[in-house]
Amino acid sequence: MKHLPKHLRPRWRYLAVGIETWPDATFIRGDFQRELWYAAQNLLGDAGSADADLTVYGFELQDGVGEAVVRVRRGHVGDARAALACVSSVADDEIGIRVRGVSGTVRACEESYLRGAAASSEKRQVVFEGSERSAVVRDDALCVRLPSGVLGATKLDFE
Amino acid sequence: MYEAVHAHPDGDSTPSRFARTAAEYGFEGVVVRSQGAPDHDACERASDRYGVDVVDAVEIVAAGPEQASGAVGNFRPKTTLLVLRGGDDNLNRFATEQERIDVLSRPMAGGDFNHVLAKSAKRNGVRVEFDFRRVLRADGGRRVQALKSMRKLRELVEYYDVPFVVSANPSSHLQLRAPRELVAVGERVGFSEEQVKTGLREWGRLAARNRERTSESFIAPGVKRGRYEEDG
Repeated sequence: MKHLPKHLRPRWRYLAVGIETWPDATFIRGDFQRELWYAAQNLLGDAGSADADLTVYGFELQDGVGEAVVRVRRGHVGDARAALACVSSVADDEIGIRVRGVSGTVRACEESYLRGAAASSEKRQVVFEGSERSAVVRDDALCVRLPSGVLGATKLDFE
Repeated sequence: MYEAVHAHPDGDSTPSRFARTAAEYGFEGVVVRSQGAPDHDACERASDRYGVDVVDAVEIVAAGPEQASGAVGNFRPKTTLLVLRGGDDNLNRFATEQERIDVLSRPMAGGDFNHVLAKSAKRNGVRVEFDFRRVLRADGGRRVQALKSMRKLRELVEYYDVPFVVSANPSSHLQLRAPRELVAVGERVGFSEEQVKTGLREWGRLAARNRERTSESFIAPGVKRGRYEEDG
């Protein structure tokens, strides 16, 4: 189909989104996109969701840390922020989300706000509350596997 | 701006992990509401390491006013911030009539709030909490109910000018949301930007006030030790 004349094309904003989850989560771009649409529809309604037109680009997730670029129609950045904040889990994995910044192009967004590959993580055995547990360590953050679930901790808790 | 969190063993993250994430998200501080005795040591160490103010607090979860009353007397001297979780109408009423309680949390979960409680909360300086837990993490009917009761509470709070706090009630560092995100959600559900920010700052103001009151140099509200005239 013929391209629209330039003044009629929609204007976009691109949100750099930082993602954090437990290390064993393995959802992909499609899962995140679906949850984002659900969240937008639930919060903003069908009309608001269609207006914001949220699309996930450049999704990356590795060992519980990831980032994504989310495209939104210009003028709906607030709606997009609110919808993103309401995404609490993706494919049954709890997720932490933060908008790091907003740009007018994907490239500017990536250059300014995305950090690329996260620091590598390693598995280690730690002693927590008197018993030995397996943990995933990245920088100074640890995720300790307990019988009741996963515990978020830092190295400070083991000093 | 501050966020009040539920840390291990009530939640899934330790205070230090909360402090780490909160610092990254742009919060000035974290209030760690524990349901037992507060861990001052862990709060202080996390505060030093991550450069955010980690405030120790106790959230009392009681079945009724008698039990709550005992807990208030027990925990008030041991902690900076004292939060009472609302459960039913009696507990809400008890909380708003106690000057020693700083915050009434989850007033609309199970209980109800009305003009009598609003006036008494204002008189006694008890902050009521706008609980964004269900707005952020529930959907369908439960969220609609949460929004409905939040609107009722907001109308009362606005009319009677009741002091309030705002919190997302995160129980793991993954449930934390940055201030700007909370403002965006707040604006979608009827709050103004200023209201959400005031609610988040209020935690910090309360902590500072209580710390000043419990410091050794404090005598009484409005009384300060200063220079005095020497007899001639």
